[in-house]
Amino acid sequence: MILVSALTIAVLFGVGSYLLLQRDLIRVVVGIILVSNAANLFLISAGLSRGQAPIYPLEEGVEVSDPLVQAMTLTAIVIAFGISALLMSLVYRVYTSHLSLNLEDISEAEVREEESIESREVAED
Amino acid sequence: MIVFTLGLTWTLAVLLSLLDGRKHPVGGIALGGLAAGFAGLLVLGWEVFTNGPVTMVAGGWPPGVGITLRADALGVTFAVLSVGVILIALAYEAVSGIESRTFPALAMFMAAGLTGLFLTGDAFNFYVFFEIAMIAAYALTGYGERARQLRAAFIFAVVNLLGSVLFLIGVGALYHLTGTLDMRMIAERVAAAQPNAALLTAVAIFVAFSLKLGLFPFHYWLPAVYTGVRPSVAAMLSGALANIGSYGLLRFGGELLPQELEMGATALFVLGTTSIIYGALQAVSRRTMTEVLAYSAIGQVGYILIALGIGGPVGFAAAVVYAIINSLNKLLLFLAAGLRGWMVGAAFAVGAFSVAGVPPAAGFLGKLVLFQASLAVESVALVALIFIGGALSFVYSFQIYQRVFWKPQARAYKISPSTARLLVAGVAGLLLFAGAWPEPLLALGQRAAAAVLLGGAP
Repeated sequence: MILVSALTIAVLFGVGSYLLLQRDLIRVVVGIILVSNAANLFLISAGLSRGQAPIYPLEEGVEVSDPLVQAMTLTAIVIAFGISALLMSLVYRVYTSHLSLNLEDISEAEVREEESIESREVAED
Repeated sequence: MIVFTLGLTWTLAVLLSLLDGRKHPVGGIALGGLAAGFAGLLVLGWEVFTNGPVTMVAGGWPPGVGITLRADALGVTFAVLSVGVILIALAYEAVSGIESRTFPALAMFMAAGLTGLFLTGDAFNFYVFFEIAMIAAYALTGYGERARQLRAAFIFAVVNLLGSVLFLIGVGALYHLTGTLDMRMIAERVAAAQPNAALLTAVAIFVAFSLKLGLFPFHYWLPAVYTGVRPSVAAMLSGALANIGSYGLLRFGGELLPQELEMGATALFVLGTTSIIYGALQAVSRRTMTEVLAYSAIGQVGYILIALGIGGPVGFAAAVVYAIINSLNKLLLFLAAGLRGWMVGAAFAVGAFSVAGVPPAAGFLGKLVLFQASLAVESVALVALIFIGGALSFVYSFQIYQRVFWKPQARAYKISPSTARLLVAGVAGLLLFAGAWPEPLLALGQRAAAAVLLGGAP
């Protein structure tokens, strides 16, 4: 079980990092989502323990699984959810102002803008 | 008092997000509310410095079960500093006219998140407040909503999210190693944990905070973001949000993982040195003001890292004092970057003196404590480094001063509101005052360092 979860986390994190390095903004966002899900799984596996569901009243002498990691993961999932929504809306705004989702086009726009600032500064000197 | 400040900023943030921030009264409410929160923090700080740390458990749970909120000298110092910086930046924006309906609410959310993370005693709670502050910051970076700000916001969000994920993994690993999330209990138990696992955890947490700070190998996002955003937002990012990095390194490195910090001291020195030299050289070669300030920010955090590497009461005190002065410097310089006029010019000169570490300004004090710390470990190399770094920062700050404030104004600049100029002059006055009467700041640094070393115990 430990090996399986370790491998799953590793694959998720790897795929996420690969997508993060792509030029398409949507892929970057998907990469972030995958990486944060890898972190959620990691949190769950930080307290992998066998036992009954920790719901009150507890039976005497029976082991219960660790409830804290589940609470943490639930919080982390909610945060990751909010962040993906925010990132998606940011991508949409970038798209409406650049009419492209390709990082190369966007960095070209950046360079153009910087050059215009530079030339203005030089003209002022 | 903890509950008062947190509750007030939090409730106001939620209420303000329903209102239109462009209207004058809304800006006034936000300023008044944040000022009340700031006053609450000052009272809390007074309590902490006279009677020792204040601890409470949320929801009335017994300690060890519920989430602990703890205000000690280190946390309260950083909370007062960060909320003060946000207050001034918000006031600056309010007098120049807020352009977006969400700005006051986002600034308030950031203040609530920062107050929470500096005053919590629980590692996971720290992560939650940290995300609140960061999400507010991602949205704030887009303030202005032109192509430039949106690009900056996207870069900022993606890179820092990766940092947050790493930190979350670090928290999970700490829980796995120690079986607790309470910071004080983690500090007690981590010594017994497996050394390799503890070291890996420490590295993950270190990388996460270095990303926030914009330290040398993790700095690549910083110039694009700081040059893209509005002056007030840049002041908030580098004056308030970057404090998360310095505080996090002190709290998690100095208090929770002291052995790992000591083991990594060499790495800290190397990274700090490269950061200082790289940041200063890049800043010297840049022409626009915001770019110079952005690279200067990279260089300045290198000093904090060096102070951390020195460690012990002297090193930690130097790190705290330097972090405080650096965040005030950045607040002053970024705000002054958006204004023109002789008063702003004078204020900028004070800020430039402070960055370079020239006597009348508080920056001299920062350099002085660093000198003391390097002499304490008897390192000639460090003394030389601080001297070279100071000389380089003198060059770039006055290069930019000359270029911006001395040249005849070619274009007619929009006359800035006199209140905004007074605000900037006020911050400059504060820096001069702290430089002229350094004892309180030094005492503050020592108390905060003692809190780190004792694990927050009174």
